[in-house]
Amino acid sequence: MDKEYSIVFKNVSKIYKLKAKNKKFAKDKKNYKHTKFYALKDISFAIEKGSVVGVLGTNGSGKSTLSIVLSGISDIDEGEMIVNGEQALIAINTGLNPQLTGMENIDLKGALLGLSKKRIEEIKESVIDFAEIGDFIYQPVKKYSSGMKSRLGFAINLALDPDIYIIDEALSVGDKAFAQKCLDKMAELKKEGKTIIFISHALPQVRKFCNQALWLEGGQFKEFGDIDEVADHYAEYVEYYNGLSKKEKQEERDRKFAARIIEPKEKKRWHFFKK
Amino acid sequence: MFKSLLFVLKENYQNLYRIISIAKYEYLATLRDSKFGVFWSFASPAIQVLTYWLVFGIGMSRGKQDGIEYLPWVIVGFSAWWYISPCITGGCSAIHSKANIISRMKFPVSILPATTCAKELINHFFMLIIAIVVIIAYGFTPNIYWLGTLYYLVCAFIFVWSFTMISSVITMLWRDMKTMVRSFMRLLLYMSPVLWTARFRSFPMMNKLMKLNPIYYIVQGYRDSMIFSKPITAHPHLAIYFWGVCALMLIVGSALMNKFQKRFVDML
Repeated sequence: MDKEYSIVFKNVSKIYKLKAKNKKFAKDKKNYKHTKFYALKDISFAIEKGSVVGVLGTNGSGKSTLSIVLSGISDIDEGEMIVNGEQALIAINTGLNPQLTGMENIDLKGALLGLSKKRIEEIKESVIDFAEIGDFIYQPVKKYSSGMKSRLGFAINLALDPDIYIIDEALSVGDKAFAQKCLDKMAELKKEGKTIIFISHALPQVRKFCNQALWLEGGQFKEFGDIDEVADHYAEYVEYYNGLSKKEKQEERDRKFAARIIEPKEKKRWHFFKK
Repeated sequence: MFKSLLFVLKENYQNLYRIISIAKYEYLATLRDSKFGVFWSFASPAIQVLTYWLVFGIGMSRGKQDGIEYLPWVIVGFSAWWYISPCITGGCSAIHSKANIISRMKFPVSILPATTCAKELINHFFMLIIAIVVIIAYGFTPNIYWLGTLYYLVCAFIFVWSFTMISSVITMLWRDMKTMVRSFMRLLLYMSPVLWTARFRSFPMMNKLMKLNPIYYIVQGYRDSMIFSKPITAHPHLAIYFWGVCALMLIVGSALMNKFQKRFVDML
């Protein structure tokens, strides 16, 4: 059954510890230090191979946590996560050093991503081509416009060529032209049958690009299914939320927050270090 | 226990190219910060040595150490220290300073200690050049024993690497580690035979205790090879002790690294 799915989540939870100074959030004042918090709570879904999934949700609903969990950067605390194939998070501006030239940055970021020396040489031309920076490639990256920088970073990232792409708010860094360029590139990847997880606030972009959507709210699973359906429900919810008075909004947030708190259990080893 | 050691060694070996590239380009980036980058790589340690020479060699008229003029004696010892010290202080933040990378990329965290130590090696070569020029000027002629320095260089690398493996993880769990280590560095400098022979005339017990400091073996080794023309087998007991300490640190360090590898992101 796992063959046709690229990602399967079974009751996955991710738990963070709250800082000690948030005393007021704890119910048990004596043990407030060990209060934990569900960043993701009991999430289950399965994404088929080759589908393009938009992840929706308001601020703080766990989208970014989902992205680092999905990309294997951070471990899950409960449940089971099955990933078939190599996954990679597209982190556009990460790993670029402003003091180095574009060329040196291709070497550096390529190495950071774990590409071999040979592979880096292979991709150089296509990266320079995609980034549209011409002779600027021999200038230090600090002299680049933000668009150039983003294109360079994105192009190096593409060289990883994973089976599953995870794109977290990546397209909000550049201008419209950059976003379009990336979308075009991703449409190409889509045709190649790659699985793409697309995390964005821009509902129109998600609607246009994705064929499925996952909606998280307050760290919990809300809906997963066809893009139009989920996006409509999400838009309705956002409208409803925006229509609330300030006090009602606060209540809604508190309610969501309370559902994510975990009562402190037994003391964990190493708690001395983890404040 | 040994499983995590094997895992760390394997990961470091497989990512050798990554380690070298990161070290190289990080060093390049620091050079670009200043106009005369390479010049300062020479000048900065030279000025340090000059200071110690003026104060201890001339000012306090230390005269000869173990029968050797103070300047060539101090510069060889200091070149070892000039490598160890920035590795230990900088090594504490080896993981923490890469926060943006480890939180946005799938990255083998256990190679970060090695990158920090490799980056400092470049500076160390500049320092060694200065040291060699000075001691040749003082009439020492290169001989076969000088090659022993390479062995002690490997010792120094393994020592700071295994130390950094522990300290960088502890820094992630407990940020005060960095400040603590930095505060102890000055003490460590005088507890090692870098600027003085570290011999207490009135407390002979202390002389034995000083040898428990692994840096003693490295600094002494640099001097043995370049000044006293002693082979690398001159201190067998110290050598066994030194490698034992390194192995222990490496085992503890890789166990820690393995335990927290996927947790670092949540600790930032």
